Amino acid sequence: MSNNTKKWFSLNLNRTKKSEACGCGNNASSCEEKTPKDGYNQVMDVSMSRRSAFKKLTAGLLIGAGAVSTSCSVISGDESKEKSAIEWDEYFKGNYKLMTDKEKNETVNRLVRSYELRTGKKINLSSKDAEEDVLFGYAFNISKCQGYMDCVNACIEENNQDRASQMQYIRIHEMEDGKGFNFEESDDNYYHEVPAEGHFYMGTQCFHCDNPPCVEVCPVQATWKEKDGIVVIDYDWCVGCRYCMAACPYDGRRFNWKTPEVPEEEVNKNQHYLGNRLRKKGVMEKCTFCIQRSRKGQNPACVEACPTGARTFGNLLDPDSTIRWVLENKKVFRLKEDLGTEPKFWYYMD
Amino acid sequence: MKYLKIAIIKKVMLGTLICLFVISCKHTEEKYHNVMEKIEGESVKYKAPSVSSPMINAEIKTVLVEEGETAFLIPERKSQISSYNCVECHTEPLSVLMQKQVDKKAAHWDIKLNHANSEIMNCATCHTSNDMGNLHSLTSTTIDFNYSHKLCSQCHQKEFKDWKGGAHGKQLGGWSPPRLSNTCVNCHNPHAPQFEKRWPVRFNTEKVKERQ
Ligand code: SF4
Ligand code: SF4
Repeated sequence: MSNNTKKWFSLNLNRTKKSEACGCGNNASSCEEKTPKDGYNQVMDVSMSRRSAFKKLTAGLLIGAGAVSTSCSVISGDESKEKSAIEWDEYFKGNYKLMTDKEKNETVNRLVRSYELRTGKKINLSSKDAEEDVLFGYAFNISKCQGYMDCVNACIEENNQDRASQMQYIRIHEMEDGKGFNFEESDDNYYHEVPAEGHFYMGTQCFHCDNPPCVEVCPVQATWKEKDGIVVIDYDWCVGCRYCMAACPYDGRRFNWKTPEVPEEEVNKNQHYLGNRLRKKGVMEKCTFCIQRSRKGQNPACVEACPTGARTFGNLLDPDSTIRWVLENKKVFRLKEDLGTEPKFWYYMD
Repeated sequence: MKYLKIAIIKKVMLGTLICLFVISCKHTEEKYHNVMEKIEGESVKYKAPSVSSPMINAEIKTVLVEEGETAFLIPERKSQISSYNCVECHTEPLSVLMQKQVDKKAAHWDIKLNHANSEIMNCATCHTSNDMGNLHSLTSTTIDFNYSHKLCSQCHQKEFKDWKGGAHGKQLGGWSPPRLSNTCVNCHNPHAPQFEKRWPVRFNTEKVKERQ
């Protein structure tokens, strides 16, 4: 992520641009690197005194409000103070992709603590970066898929998707034989014994395009492609404008119209900052190739749940991986290839 | 004169083409034109990453399959077969055992062979009463239960090839090396290998409402 500073600093939220030789007059190696500004500092371009004055003022207001609200509640004062401190820091933190490792750790710790304060339960939140020499890819065997939708359920459970609105990243389209890939006429919400006579099944989700149009349109750079090819969203930076949803030619993105709810006992506590951590109202989300699993070497939940082996996942850069064998030995194709979006999700048939 | 004209037209066309090429070529930040080029280019200097398959632990016993250039792990089978070792019961010839079981619920009562048809297959295609603890091939070569894929591959060559490569079947645990894949009988019941029809596990009622 380091060599791409120009692109990401283009918004210039008062972040000092790192230049080759720094402005202190000495040569680059001898001058100390300034600590990058985070959160509040990153947002507010004001002089130190004004900034701290503002900070104190608002903090005072916040604590005041907290005090009012806790005066008749059972939460101890310390906890509510801690809560508002966390909220404060969270509110003014920076974009995840601009964060240093330390800042990443800090926000992760805050989020874990805040969940603990709210529910009394611990979550395991990771901020693991992309591994070198890994580029994730996916292959889907159309002739093997039987339309059972086991993948859909596994995905919902793994990724803490909103139960009330029945959000699902994966869609399985039931298509009639002999009509080609006709998404207009296909049914993605069938309910009868499967596989149905004369039909075949085709799954879609975010394809993690290598040239993702959704990333290009985001006005605040809240969504981007990681080094291992996973297209992610910083849920805390997303402003919910839904430009990306409109730009995606594959219907890969889902929007939270209301606060997503997952029953406490069903929450998957193995989380990643860019993956299945609990979202909030008004932000975008989508498939992340189960980043919380795949970065640990596991397969995404859909791959693991599929009883037919229609789903293959792996490292495109590993010449011995099964995904590479599929690409090299099967007649693979992608959807809307002519758009140049370069999805890393291939279909094939036996 | 005519040639000159043609030459000029040719040059102009070539120029436009080059222009178009340069314009259409999106060399903004990536070095590659498409993901295939990227895969090819980036895997030249490929070094295996440090993550390794979380499945490779003591919980799953495995055996190694080596077929030509590919080598990978599959789950060990014999310890998973509940009534193994077969010779514990099969101490007498089959006819004697069957005699003893008349009017009783016979052993293996739940096995119904639904694999090809009786002209092509019966129990003796894979099992032999001379050696109950092992399988045997069409030419009566002994095949260990742990390597039953050898038996399947006698007929299902295409599936076998795809399985070795990774286009058929399922990798267990993770994408990262070492590879551990299900073997044929982990997904297919050898006595009735077809996948069964069933109902999908999900029906989205919100989607129905949305689309009304
Ligand atoms: S499928 Fe859609 S959401 Fe996913 S990377 Fe491509 S354009 Fe973006
Ligand atoms: S909805 Fe969020 S991620 Fe999508 S374009 Fe808007 S700000 Fe960016």
